[in-house]
Amino acid sequence: MENKKIKKINLLYLLGYIFIPMILITICYVISYNFFKEGTMCVILLLGSPFISIMWWIFGGKIIFKKGKKRLEKMFKEQGFVQNNTFYGDGTEVIVDINAGKIGLQFFWNPSESYIISAKRIGKAWVDDGKGGAGFLEGSSCVSFLFTIDNIKVRVYTFKSNQRFKMDSNYILTGISKADKMVNVLETARNNDK
Amino acid sequence: MGIIKKFKSLLHDDWCSNCQIQMTENYKQLFMLPMSVGHYISHKNADYYKKNLVKVNSKKEIPISIYACGIKKYRCSKCGKSLVQLSIFLPVRDQEKYEETIYYKNGELDTFIEDNRKI
Repeated sequence: MENKKIKKINLLYLLGYIFIPMILITICYVISYNFFKEGTMCVILLLGSPFISIMWWIFGGKIIFKKGKKRLEKMFKEQGFVQNNTFYGDGTEVIVDINAGKIGLQFFWNPSESYIISAKRIGKAWVDDGKGGAGFLEGSSCVSFLFTIDNIKVRVYTFKSNQRFKMDSNYILTGISKADKMVNVLETARNNDK
Repeated sequence: MGIIKKFKSLLHDDWCSNCQIQMTENYKQLFMLPMSVGHYISHKNADYYKKNLVKVNSKKEIPISIYACGIKKYRCSKCGKSLVQLSIFLPVRDQEKYEETIYYKNGELDTFIEDNRKI
């Protein structure tokens, strides 16, 4: 379990997530065209399948990811680790037991796998403040902390927006502070793991 | 003149509301407020600060992502009225993210300040 290779994306799940609803819509349309050209069944097939698909794209992934997060937290406790720090990032959950030097990871695009790894496997951890632009345009729209596990880079956003904010804005400063904290926590856990 | 001074005292936090003159700062100290980033809760009760503030000498002594609180005490040289100002902020690298400023005008933190002055 601890030495399991980290896989951030399960390609089958990703493709299925995107294309299975599309296939469902196509099948429903074909059935409707061939067998139910009018009537209640036609309405159900033509409107029901796109509705289900849109609901799936909006909520399906989130529900599955939430279940994965719960499973990871349960596993973490069952193995006797303490959840000192938990960070729910956009698409990644990171749990740290600082004293035992253990890290729990759950990825949105690989919800079937929950990882509990030794903090020693972390090579490097740093903060990316997303700073860009020059002069009065200088600012950022995202802040994240990054770390490498067996040379695989994991990025966890502490702030993300579709707007650019100045580097001294409250959003950016809060994001940097959270990212600094998590980098510090990860490095402390790595040092404590013997 | 009196109206202008009264108006000025409304704009300046460190002006005496009775005498409309600038009060003198006679205490300034930095404290650590044990709340971490993302978990800040505003407290108006002075007892909370008496129980939880930890005296520090500089921002470097405050752990990453923990809040800081700067306390300033002002005293009016004319009428003797005092005012305590609490500035709560999050130190982020070389910058500060201000959360809120709280004033105590009735001596709620006076004993706390005197106790810390002795240390």
